[in-house]
Amino acid sequence: MKKAIFFPILVNFILVAAAFQLIMPTPSWSAQKKNTSVIRGVVASQYGMVSDARVRIAGSKDFTLTDINGRYTLETPLFSSRAIKITAGKDGWFNNSVNALPGNQNANIMLFPIPGKDNPNYRFISPAVCARCHNTLAKYWDKSKMAHTTSNVKVLNMFNGTDATGRVLSGPGYKIDNPDKDGNCVSCHAPSAAVTQGGARDIERALWSPKTEWDGISCDYCHKIRKVTKTSDTPSLFKSHLKRQTPLKGNSILVFGPYDDVVNTVMSASYSPGFDKGSFCAACHSQIKKSDNKESWNRKQVYTDAEWQSFDIGDDSVIPVQTTYQEWKTWQDGLPADDTNKGKRCQDCHMSWRKEMLPYDNYVIEGHARDMWGTKRDPQNIRPHHFDGGTQIQLKTALSMEIEGQINDNILDVNVFITNTNGGHWIPTGDPMRNVMLVLSATDSDGKALKKIKGEELPTWTGVGKIEEGNYAGLPGKMFSKVLKDKKGNINVPFWNAAEVAADTRIRPKTTVKLKYQFKIENLNDEPTAEAKLIYRPFMKSLAKVKKWENNDILITETAW
Amino acid sequence: MNSKRMLILGLIFLTMTSVHAFALDLSGNVKAQGLRKQDNILVYLTKTPDLTTPPQEAFVLDQNNLTFLPHILVIPKGSTVSFPNNDKVDHNVFSLSRTKKFNFGSYKPGESQTVTFDKPGIVELRCDLHSEMISYILVMKNSFFALTDKKGNFILDVAGLEPGKYFLKTWHEKLKNSKMPIELPAAAGKKLTINLKRGAPGVLYK
Repeated sequence: MKKAIFFPILVNFILVAAAFQLIMPTPSWSAQKKNTSVIRGVVASQYGMVSDARVRIAGSKDFTLTDINGRYTLETPLFSSRAIKITAGKDGWFNNSVNALPGNQNANIMLFPIPGKDNPNYRFISPAVCARCHNTLAKYWDKSKMAHTTSNVKVLNMFNGTDATGRVLSGPGYKIDNPDKDGNCVSCHAPSAAVTQGGARDIERALWSPKTEWDGISCDYCHKIRKVTKTSDTPSLFKSHLKRQTPLKGNSILVFGPYDDVVNTVMSASYSPGFDKGSFCAACHSQIKKSDNKESWNRKQVYTDAEWQSFDIGDDSVIPVQTTYQEWKTWQDGLPADDTNKGKRCQDCHMSWRKEMLPYDNYVIEGHARDMWGTKRDPQNIRPHHFDGGTQIQLKTALSMEIEGQINDNILDVNVFITNTNGGHWIPTGDPMRNVMLVLSATDSDGKALKKIKGEELPTWTGVGKIEEGNYAGLPGKMFSKVLKDKKGNINVPFWNAAEVAADTRIRPKTTVKLKYQFKIENLNDEPTAEAKLIYRPFMKSLAKVKKWENNDILITETAW
Repeated sequence: MNSKRMLILGLIFLTMTSVHAFALDLSGNVKAQGLRKQDNILVYLTKTPDLTTPPQEAFVLDQNNLTFLPHILVIPKGSTVSFPNNDKVDHNVFSLSRTKKFNFGSYKPGESQTVTFDKPGIVELRCDLHSEMISYILVMKNSFFALTDKKGNFILDVAGLEPGKYFLKTWHEKLKNSKMPIELPAAAGKKLTINLKRGAPGVLYK
């Protein structure tokens, strides 16, 4: 049976290869301008000529697309004796290349299709294996929040209802409220374990299970994603479609990535345009909860119709838990075509060069492997895998604050302007535990606080107690956060108990929030001052207390008038 | 011109220049608590007259190795600043500060952009693509300002100021502003000492 299928494919392949050599115009070099050459050829497969394949000199920025007959023409700087590597890649095909020499050389390229079916029995490769050649990239990844997500203590505490010391029944816990369910934490916190045949469904078991592939979102997991599509079957409303190599197709790894010019037998790379799209991140940076019995909640009190529609997450019975991807997409969709921010993607900010990585490198591969397979490329075409987010550097650039004041008789008017300068999504984003708060104070020249007459105050859940210990309840200020509420009216509940979003005051991209305050001046001859602090808190004070988590407040910026 | 008249004129000139030599600059040292380097602290005078003629100096804020250079650029209002990209990667310089809002969009190595700053205040510069890139353009009402060197020393040229009372102020992104009353020409020629503490930086002009 196998022979019967194999024979016609082989014949077809030979016939196409023959046509490739005989029917197509002879690929050739020809001097076009004084210092340039023109390379011509075709890209073909066992099924015929391949149109819309991306052809380039390996590592160069510019590429050309093959026409309907698989033909391409490349202009290149004139060279004399050394061969240059011409590569071709297309979504759904293994990348391939040919070494072209000056003169009448054959610069045709054959492409081979990637396997049609996924292989759930595939065992993911350790990041340590990837690090043998991609040492620097793996090092950045290892320090990133993508690594070690399975063993993240806070995730496990929230899942089990434990605290940092391991004490049970300490604050909220998914398993406490849902003892008979596994939840779906693994799909993002231990994704390779979740998709492996017989892998763990419960994150606690994933951590200890021998079937767990690797701790975190590993290199091999992400680079096995063939594409990400919309679905109604997952909590994120997006699904990652994996394509894992089968032994029948050879022992190479099969790695998807953004490069169409990476060609080596060990990796068997395949160009995948999804790696350069924001939607690639959607499978995990989006999360909804469907309310019980499809009950509607009053989403109009929180979101405008335009915001809700652009989220595209369903009807009013859907509770948006995490909408980072939707926030970015909403912002991008709303920008006019000539806006300077149009086209910015998650990867542009969260996978960009950092100063500590300098000097720039021209390779994504090191050591002996670089000599064998390395492709020299522009640093602009290299994406360091640090996935930075929620750090002081990232927050400092995402938000800025200005203050102005004016004295009118015995009143001090203070205006604070907080701008989402660089966030391509609302800030804070991600888990609703995160919040940003403005803490404002006005004092006389002796440091005595002035009495607030007008302006918002911080809620009790910012902490009641000493200010020095990070308790800000009742102080002039403003909270920027998403507040989840359960059916009993409790606020800041974990997402699995949420029945509605009570408020969402997070700051939209490139927008400024103006906050007005008034304070009473006792001594008209005095010169009062006002001081504003903008603080990021990765989780609520009350939650940190019950979970015994260290207080991780980050001072984003501060300013005074 | 006879020699007697020359001598008298010479004496008058010497007298004038020796009187004004004291009043030409204010110098001193800034000690900032908790800063490894004492440079880039702005020292400036307020209650001084605004600039009446547009500044002629050309200012440059470079981008290289994911860094804005200089980190602090102080300019009189009305100045034009060019922003060349001398790096190996694209940059997108922008400001959402209320003093001056602009956004160049991504531009490539070798390209340059310019902006004129016509309003005093603080302009915070960012790059859309590289989050740690940050610098400040401090737009001043006039030219009576100086930046400290690595040791915290400053020399502020006060030539052209009328004798009188002024305020000597400071600004740094990590330090509380300070304000010191001074009187000219008495303060000129004396070495001033300013001690600063970490804290919220204030506005340039209240």
